Amino acid sequence: MNVQFKKGVLDLCVLALTAWEDRYGYELAVAISSKFEMAVGSVYPLLNRLTVEGYFSTYLRESPEGPPRKYYKLTPLGHSHLMELVSEWNTFTRAVNELIKDGVEQ
Amino acid sequence: MIKEQYLQQLWGQLSKVPEPQRRELMFDYEDHFRIAAEHGRSEEEAARELGDPQVIARELMLSYRVVEAENGGGVVRVSKAVLATVGLGFFNLIFVLGPYIALLGVLLAFWAVSVALGILAAGVMYEGIFGQGIPLLQASFMAMTALGIGMLAGVGTHKLTRSVFKITLKYLRFNSRVMGGRDK
Repeated sequence: MNVQFKKGVLDLCVLALTAWEDRYGYELAVAISSKFEMAVGSVYPLLNRLTVEGYFSTYLRESPEGPPRKYYKLTPLGHSHLMELVSEWNTFTRAVNELIKDGVEQ
Repeated sequence: MIKEQYLQQLWGQLSKVPEPQRRELMFDYEDHFRIAAEHGRSEEEAARELGDPQVIARELMLSYRVVEAENGGGVVRVSKAVLATVGLGFFNLIFVLGPYIALLGVLLAFWAVSVALGILAAGVMYEGIFGQGIPLLQASFMAMTALGIGMLAGVGTHKLTRSVFKITLKYLRFNSRVMGGRDK
């Protein structure tokens, strides 16, 4: 996939995954890397940055399989940031789709 | 074995980060190996999908440095943050470090002008009081003018310096967002 495309929307995708439920790092890393052909290891610095910026808070929760896992939870700030990004994304893709329709599929 | 090596390497690369924060950063990677094992994947696989620990350390260092500089500017911290981007690629060497050094040069020149005006004022006063060249009254007016302009220049440069640092950090953030993440 085009590198420039995916870099712009990674934040949006990570935040979107946590919109309804808290997730642990591994889960997010695997989900993102399988969709975007990106090294799993790069997702963690991204999660860290979003946490530092106040969009995520983290906590430890017991897991049935073993020791506790670190969960990422969307903060109110993160939630409003996500909503902003989603509406920007929608405006953007609508415009692009219209142009594609006019230009390519006439 | 591979897990230990990987984590140790990452830990070493992050040596500049204070320990509590470093533990926090490491947690994700320790978790990764553990949960990958629970999913029945080998340590080799887990390490391979994580990617080069050096690259990960650089990405983490960059965001650490930027946040540190934002919490209390200063030319040293901002410069460290700028230098942290250089490790992430050749692009940054030219398009981040280059312009940053140029800007620092311009700021330094402005600071030099402000200080020079101050020194000029002192020199003129000295000449007015102890020397023969300029009468005292004239010297005080000249000194006051030079000092006034010097102080204005100083205040202006101070503000300019602050905003240059602020914009630099903003750019680094934007940059790391755009550049962050790499291919498999």
